[in-house]
Amino acid sequence: MKDDRTRVVVVGYGMVGSRFVEDLLDRDPQGRVAVTVLGAEAYQPYNRVLLSELVAGAVDVATLALGSGDHPRAVVHPGTSAVAVDRAGRLVLASDGRWHPYDVLVLATGSSARILPLPGMDPMPAGVHPLRTLDDAREIVAATMNAHRAVVVGGGVLGLEVATGLRKRGLCVSLVHGAPHLMERQLDAEAAGVVADGLERLGIAVRTGTFTTHVEVDDGRVTGVGLGDEVLPAELVVVCAGTVAEVRLARESGLDVERGVVVGEDLATPADPRVFAIGDCAQPPEGGTGLIAQGWDQARRLAVLLAARIAAGGPDAVPAPDADADASPPPHAAGTDLVRLKAHGLDVVAMGVCGPGRRARGLRVVRLTDPDGGRHLEMVVADGRLVGATLVGAGPVGADLTAAYTRATPLPADPATLLMRPVAGLATPAPSPTLMPDRTTVCRCNGVTKKDVVTCWRGGADTVAEVARGTRATTGCGGCTDVVSGILAWLATTDPDRRRASVPPGAPADETAAGAAPVPEAVPAT
Amino acid sequence: MTTTATHCPYCALQCAMSLRTPVVGAAVPAAPAPGGSALPPAPDVPLDVAGRAFPTNRGGLCQKGWTSASVLAAPDRLTTPLLRGADGELHPATWDEALDRVATRVRATQAAAGPGAVAVFGGGGLTNEKAYALGKFARTVLRTPFIDYNGRFCMSSAAAASNRAFGVDRGLPFPLEDLGGAQAVLLLGSNLSETMPPAVQHLAGVREAGGLVVVDPRRSATAALTADGQGLHLAPVPGTDLVVLLALLHVVLAEGLADAEYLAARTTGLDDVRRRVSTWWPERAEAVCGVPATSLRQAARLLAHASPARGGSGAYVLTGRGVEQSSQGTATVSAAINLALALGLPGRPGSGYGAVTGQGNGQGGREHGQKSDQLPGYRRIDDPAARAHVAAVWGVDPASLPGPGVPAVELLHRLGTPGGPRVLFVHGSNLLVSAPDADRVRERLESLDLLVVCDVVPSETARLADVVLPVTQWAEEEGTMTSLEGRVIRRRRAIDPPPGVRSELEVLADLATRLGSTVRFDVDPAAVFDELARASAGGVADYSGLSHARLDAEPDLFWPCPATPDGAPPHPGTPRLFADGFPTPDGRARMFAVDHLGPRDDVRADAPLYLVTGRVLQHYQSGAQTRRVPELAAAVPEPFVELHPLLADRLGVEDGDAVQVTSARGSVRAPARLTAAVRPDTVFMAFHWAGEGGVNRITNDATDPVSGMPEFKVCAVDVRRAEPAADRSGPPEPVEVRA
Repeated sequence: MKDDRTRVVVVGYGMVGSRFVEDLLDRDPQGRVAVTVLGAEAYQPYNRVLLSELVAGAVDVATLALGSGDHPRAVVHPGTSAVAVDRAGRLVLASDGRWHPYDVLVLATGSSARILPLPGMDPMPAGVHPLRTLDDAREIVAATMNAHRAVVVGGGVLGLEVATGLRKRGLCVSLVHGAPHLMERQLDAEAAGVVADGLERLGIAVRTGTFTTHVEVDDGRVTGVGLGDEVLPAELVVVCAGTVAEVRLARESGLDVERGVVVGEDLATPADPRVFAIGDCAQPPEGGTGLIAQGWDQARRLAVLLAARIAAGGPDAVPAPDADADASPPPHAAGTDLVRLKAHGLDVVAMGVCGPGRRARGLRVVRLTDPDGGRHLEMVVADGRLVGATLVGAGPVGADLTAAYTRATPLPADPATLLMRPVAGLATPAPSPTLMPDRTTVCRCNGVTKKDVVTCWRGGADTVAEVARGTRATTGCGGCTDVVSGILAWLATTDPDRRRASVPPGAPADETAAGAAPVPEAVPAT
Repeated sequence: MTTTATHCPYCALQCAMSLRTPVVGAAVPAAPAPGGSALPPAPDVPLDVAGRAFPTNRGGLCQKGWTSASVLAAPDRLTTPLLRGADGELHPATWDEALDRVATRVRATQAAAGPGAVAVFGGGGLTNEKAYALGKFARTVLRTPFIDYNGRFCMSSAAAASNRAFGVDRGLPFPLEDLGGAQAVLLLGSNLSETMPPAVQHLAGVREAGGLVVVDPRRSATAALTADGQGLHLAPVPGTDLVVLLALLHVVLAEGLADAEYLAARTTGLDDVRRRVSTWWPERAEAVCGVPATSLRQAARLLAHASPARGGSGAYVLTGRGVEQSSQGTATVSAAINLALALGLPGRPGSGYGAVTGQGNGQGGREHGQKSDQLPGYRRIDDPAARAHVAAVWGVDPASLPGPGVPAVELLHRLGTPGGPRVLFVHGSNLLVSAPDADRVRERLESLDLLVVCDVVPSETARLADVVLPVTQWAEEEGTMTSLEGRVIRRRRAIDPPPGVRSELEVLADLATRLGSTVRFDVDPAAVFDELARASAGGVADYSGLSHARLDAEPDLFWPCPATPDGAPPHPGTPRLFADGFPTPDGRARMFAVDHLGPRDDVRADAPLYLVTGRVLQHYQSGAQTRRVPELAAAVPEPFVELHPLLADRLGVEDGDAVQVTSARGSVRAPARLTAAVRPDTVFMAFHWAGEGGVNRITNDATDPVSGMPEFKVCAVDVRRAEPAADRSGPPEPVEVRA
């Protein structure tokens, strides 16, 4: 029987490739697609974003597993990479020598760690590691057992996460960064300075504007990192010098390649509408950010688009106008350009318009600079919406601004009000019988005000139980018993003449009179 | 003077109360009456209400309970049937005239268009007996598949998720009192302090332990209980509670805090769930749900440390409508259950997962056959064995029973459309206030050939009816309710109903006869209960060991409570489920991998704010009862819009100004209330009113794909200061803005 399903071959089974497979199969309940996946790594897909957390010892390795497990409609070949593509014949050659025919080819080959071409690095000595794969992370964790001093090369997002993670494990850590300040893609010099101070406070030595010149090696094992004339001794070196899109297959197949595989809005390569690229290997019109949110968004959009086309007849079919409405970029940025550091002891968030160069755009910038307090908050505002922010040491404010940014909700008339949070407890002082206005609700369950309690007391009620009978205060959840008791105590002290003459001896009235700790001086407000 | 021990007419807590017939002419106050408070009851209120000691409310009542007898004396209480005349107005009629009109039209409609041309809409406030009789009436007399009820708006997501995880759905599978010993309670989307205040007593212990974690976009009265070190309040962006739960489970698994032994022995599905939550590390979750990653970690650790596996004294995960009334409500409850399972809570003494049921008989209402796909005893209507059993009890051919119908929102959408039902019976439900996108519901109801409403007062829905039948309420009737704990309790008659009023049991029996049915319909609630018990025998919710007489003697009976053979001691009931296993085929709880999609109607440039809805303490559901109680109506007389002062400042709105809230479905208007308790990106409205401030006119009727629950709790709106009101005498025409 002829199989007329649309054959989709996915090259790459990382975070984006595996998400795409899930998203596509979810949208194909009729089983119209047959998916084949070539994954270069021998593992099931895993969460690369959490590798720095694994290095920090903050997560369990089992947490990293991704994907939907074994899917009956997807054939996965782990440990098998794609060697070549025959675009005319629509065939992919795998490293095991097998040819896989396709109707649609999706490149999700990702990126690899940039390795610095420095003296001492070829071959890479023992103790020097990039951090890109699960194996890298495991090796780094193993190395921390015997290492005392570590140098992290590269002060971008990953470098900071690794540095703080290794510090958390108790190593002496130095961070070396060639650019004049840390995280220069996201931060300006001032914000980066606050971050550097934060790292120093954690006990991490920060060297910015300093290029690594060579690696010192003894007997095949690293002993230090050279910075010109100076050497930082180290038993462990982690290279976090950025990534390079994995484009070999695309280039050799004759597809347009610049920094990544060039794709259009529809994620298809201009040269071949049957070939798509998503994730770190792709270069979409808006530019690749290297952030997982962008890759996952591309995976979703491509799955929606292909599912609609396949449902309409095949990979080249034109679906009904709104069938793939979901495939367009989301109405709000949805956090696809949000950077949130997972660094232990350091709180850094950057989103949208941030970093150097933003001032040139003539946007309103609102800042709160508090370097000595480890805080540097900046919002970029346009048309009453938050279009960017740089937040160091923001605490919960970071979460608020992120929500405002990703959803483009309107900002307050004075955006600066969002930079501060009300101090907990300030807004709700403990109820004091003296200062409480008459109209204050004492018992929510029964809508009883302070005035009602006072009136009831004047009418002769002495105890909480009597007030309860008269007003029903305290008869719901009972949470206001202390407050009612306090009001009675205050009344007993300040307004004794109104007390009823006869208090039964030993009656619960004691709880009102005796417990009156501070003697209020004010007269009743009634 | 006689005293009757019964329970409150309102919510699922079913607070125990005593009703006393006051001595005529006696001066009422037993204690001094203060000026502002509402004591003593108005002279025409026929009963005195007092709290009664019971494990759930411990003698406490909220203002609704204390004043509940006023509804008995509502000035516009319905006491005679009403028929819509040729002049378009409702006119008093005799019962014979009214029931004949109904029977004639039902016969004609069904003769022309088949049994499915008549539909039934029930309610979660009906007694078990009435709910049972209504389901039986629909299936055996009308023979229509189209019956559903307002519990679809209440418990359906929790029910669907509980059934697929545990094989059973009992709101709390443990007595409420058990919460008292917990070290941590995670409460999601439930505002207990306003919706069932006396229940808050059971949180005293966990607050003392600093372990109350409340997830709510608002600083609700319940969220405020976490203040001063009594716990944590997480305030997610509306519609993202699921992300909070996924992140909590992520942390529990990532940090090795799960109960590995329990997971291995008592659950299936962990692997898929683990892979799914791997993508929700706290920093990513923060970006979506707006809850700081540090707070997510803190909450997860707090819960884990309270779990028995880690030496804690116990932890509970509880969900409410806030998270369930969502297009991903079932997924959200599944995520809550997954978290509870990962921590090893369900089935452990002093720990567990539960859904806090809303309506008075929200639990029993969903067990006895009002639901479109169910037969009594929580049986499935598409299960041949269940059909055979129930058909035998009813004395009908199993083949004559209809199949499954459709869930509430779809049922309402079909009314009056080609091929859809043309006649609708409404019992115990005020759809025009309580259903989502209510103007559309009005349109559908107006398109019917015949709308029959059984009610106590002329609710908004009753006023739209062609036939209104006045029925008994609460203190005028006998019956049973099943509380949020699955405890079956007795509702008792304290006074005679007004002349002219009939019980729904009588109405259904009479209609059955007029429609030529030979199926027996008892009118004595105790007899109906006995039949219900037989019909439920062997089902998930087995009541066969219960009777009114036994319940009168034993107030502590929880289902399942099957009958025992003659001579054997009676079954003691089941206060706690799952101790020895889950009622699934393999005895294990099923973890079900879910993911976040977000609200269907999300914020955008022309609707940049979220609208969330909820309740206030003084009113119950559609307000048909509580708006008629003078004290409650005086306390909260009208709808309002809660805005954060920062939002109000931007909009130029001051406290008390009228604001216009507009969604894709329409526009409502109400005065502003400024409060920092609501997020600046969100406004809140309570849903107890009809008319220009009736918020359900603009809520979204998109539904959950599994449960059919509508997405009441979140939609996108634009908010602006309303122009000063034009001279209006009555309520304005509904605004027609449809996307």
